Amino acid sequence: MIVRRVVAWADERFGTNALLHTALKKIYPDHWSFYLGEFALYFFMVLVGTGIWLTFAFDAGSQGAYASVVQLASRDHPIGYVIRQIHHWAAVCFVAAILVHMGRIFFTGAFRRPRELNWMIGVTMLALASFTGFTGYSLPNDDLSGTGLRIAYSVALSIPLIGRWAAGVFNGGDDFPGSLLTTHLYTLHVYLLPVMIGALLAAHLGLLIYQKHTQFARDERNVVGRRFWPDYALRTLAALGATLAVLALLATFFEINPVGDYGLYRPWLVMNGAVPDWYAAFLEGALRLGPAAELRIAGHPIPPVFWPGLVLPTVAFVFLLAWPFIEARLTGDRAAHDVLDRPTRVPLRVGVGAALIFEGVLLTLAAGDDQTAATLHVRLETLVWVYRIALLVGPIVVGVVAARLAAEMRARAAGSPAPDVVLLVRNAHGGYDEEEPQAG
Amino acid sequence: MTIALWLALTIAGAIGATVAAAFAAPPSAFAGALAVAFIGLAGAAGAAAIALHAPDDLTEPRSAHGPTYAPPLPDDGRVTRPVFGRMWFAALGAFAVLGLVPVISLARKPGRRADTGWRAGIRLVDENNRPIGREQLSDGGIETVFPAGNVDLPQAPAVLIRDGANYLAFSKVCTHAGCPVALYRHASRQLICPCHQSIFDVEHGAKNVSGPAPRPLPALPLGFDAEGYLIARGDFDAPVGPDDWDRVL
Repeated sequence: MIVRRVVAWADERFGTNALLHTALKKIYPDHWSFYLGEFALYFFMVLVGTGIWLTFAFDAGSQGAYASVVQLASRDHPIGYVIRQIHHWAAVCFVAAILVHMGRIFFTGAFRRPRELNWMIGVTMLALASFTGFTGYSLPNDDLSGTGLRIAYSVALSIPLIGRWAAGVFNGGDDFPGSLLTTHLYTLHVYLLPVMIGALLAAHLGLLIYQKHTQFARDERNVVGRRFWPDYALRTLAALGATLAVLALLATFFEINPVGDYGLYRPWLVMNGAVPDWYAAFLEGALRLGPAAELRIAGHPIPPVFWPGLVLPTVAFVFLLAWPFIEARLTGDRAAHDVLDRPTRVPLRVGVGAALIFEGVLLTLAAGDDQTAATLHVRLETLVWVYRIALLVGPIVVGVVAARLAAEMRARAAGSPAPDVVLLVRNAHGGYDEEEPQAG
Repeated sequence: MTIALWLALTIAGAIGATVAAAFAAPPSAFAGALAVAFIGLAGAAGAAAIALHAPDDLTEPRSAHGPTYAPPLPDDGRVTRPVFGRMWFAALGAFAVLGLVPVISLARKPGRRADTGWRAGIRLVDENNRPIGREQLSDGGIETVFPAGNVDLPQAPAVLIRDGANYLAFSKVCTHAGCPVALYRHASRQLICPCHQSIFDVEHGAKNVSGPAPRPLPALPLGFDAEGYLIARGDFDAPVGPDDWDRVL
């Protein structure tokens, strides 16, 4: 009744009912994998909500930051503790959800024309989400995140020509940690980065609605699916409830980032086995596997951290941004597509995707190489060399094998007989006989 | 009916969380009650969606992608001279250059303080400013040391190692990414950085023998003062910490 009156009130003034009608009856294709991006959206909403609360509990000066966060973990503040736990878990899950969603988009070819721009927006949001996460867990000024910041400072310092400027703006002082470091991180984490993500998210969803969702149904002229109201709305509400439930369960049973145990950052103290949040671990791994050689140009050093710490993520980011155009050039397919591919349809894409996943997993594993070496009783130096070689050779092997598998699966799905299949049949003597495969 | 049960679970969870908060229950009780409420919400919405039995093959037309060939903008004939000349772009470019000014002004180039605090005659102290005596460390023992009165200088920390009768001290700031080189393995006389596993050979001037560090840890020359406390005989023998473009050696 009240809803009806409010809707009528708005319609009389703004003529909104036509728009509302269109929005509510709009049809969305349905598939379980289309909810992955929604999970990311819901994690972001949780981050904004819990984050706003946290700004009121957090002391953004570098002196009081640590104490104010530890306070949240104390007995006097059970609610604050849970909110901070949910915030951190949501950050970790947000990046994961983006990455899994991106994998779906990648392997089904949803990034192809006309959706290249939306893919690029998504890739940018992935980078921003990781950076927001990093600035966030660095805020408490505890010993773990302080060490991470020290490394980030060294990486910024390594940029040729402008290293000191870049590191100085970020650090706010001549020495690390600069007096303005926490304030700068706060500005980035609380205002600049979330607003950028929010703006890109609006563009992302706006383009999605305007261009209409892709689908698996083999029909390029129609959208086939469910109405938004009430069918799809209930489904996405269930997804929201599930997202919130997962976060609450994580906060109930698993403690994340107990900064109270780490102690305040002291430049000369470090924890053994210190690793960053999972999405930054690939950089940590890259730094561990990176070369030790320091190049010099006319006497100016280019420190070794520059290559794994800055060049590698930049190249990866640009490659991902450009992928829709790279693939269009390599396959020659420049047509607009609204129907998704089965993941095996384009072997090239499968190969490249598998190689990228391999590199990401390997670099992430390398971030724990000391623990792995200790567990497996191998020398750390040996393990580092195994990882280094795998990093260079692995993607080629994995990519080629994955592409071949995809090609074979595609051929089989198309009904043509697989070429080198041999049927082995056990005979009466216990041995095996080869048999010609039966047609069909 | 099922939907009502799920919603009852939601209500119970929400009330439970509120009660837990009101009675200052432990965090896990509050979070657990929240989880129950959200599971109820997810369950209710999911059950409702299933109960709808709504068709999943409704269709809506897609418009073709591609150029729309809109007609040119109307021209009322009164514009006689072209107004969109190159000067507009020149002006835009000028503003773009101007826009760099505040960015650059923000980026005052910080120096990197070369001062480590170490000078000849300065005592080595621990983090509580206590001097280090001749017999303080046993063989294979290590201690993080600072120049007396300068515990807070980020370039200052050094690792003091006792090896037999000898004392050795090296900068604790890794030459790779600036982490504290905090681990020492006496059996192999190696200092190890726990961040990226750079390994330094203490018997050969903390030379970088493995891992990504590009150069040895700077060494601190040591001596004893009249009272038998450890002192520095000068500054580190090389710049501390990772290099950068402007540190021309």
